[in-house]
Amino acid sequence: MAESHKTRTLLVFRHPPYSSSLSRSGLDTALAAGAFEQPVTLLFLSDGILQLLPQQDSTSLGKRNHGKVLASLPLYDIETLWVDAAALSDCGYAINDLPEAARLADQALIRDMLAQHDHILAF
Amino acid sequence: MLLHTLNSSAQSAATRNCCDLLTAQDTVILFGDGVYAGLEGCATSQLLRDSGAAIFALAPDVDAAGIGTKLATGVSLIDYAQFVTISAKYPGQMAWY
Repeated sequence: MAESHKTRTLLVFRHPPYSSSLSRSGLDTALAAGAFEQPVTLLFLSDGILQLLPQQDSTSLGKRNHGKVLASLPLYDIETLWVDAAALSDCGYAINDLPEAARLADQALIRDMLAQHDHILAF
Repeated sequence: MLLHTLNSSAQSAATRNCCDLLTAQDTVILFGDGVYAGLEGCATSQLLRDSGAAIFALAPDVDAAGIGTKLATGVSLIDYAQFVTISAKYPGQMAWY
């Protein structure tokens, strides 16, 4: 068991992209975990879902495009992006507007995810 | 007659306070995280419009957010130069952040 068990880490994104370095740090953590083949789960709560909106163009801000980085995550074996369903509908978007890897999570599922991971990192 | 600048997300207490206090004589400029308050489908954009205030959003931040096609009617895009021009017209400004 000890040999085969990999630590499961949950990355929780709660902030919009661009206005602070928090969300960028979270993305870098996801990429690093992927590069070292550490299993991570990505959960986007409340304002965090704004990182997944399509058509982001951050060139005039001189910052890396979060939407594009998130779309590249399947290359790092991160196949699913869990999205706070209530927050998504509050801002008038539907799951079809988000990247293909996005899946809806309701409150019960979010609670389970928080309970079932070995570590939680919040960004 | 007051200029309100809002760069806090739609969920924040600052945004709620701003919506509560806007009058029809005021102007509000959404920038940074504040641009999400202009989304067509969100409750905040309705509150902003109900106030009767003029509503502007800073284009570079709207582009970064990817919400240019999803802004509510009545939210006008401005660039940095227009931000300055509008600011210069108002004797007072309240910054919500």
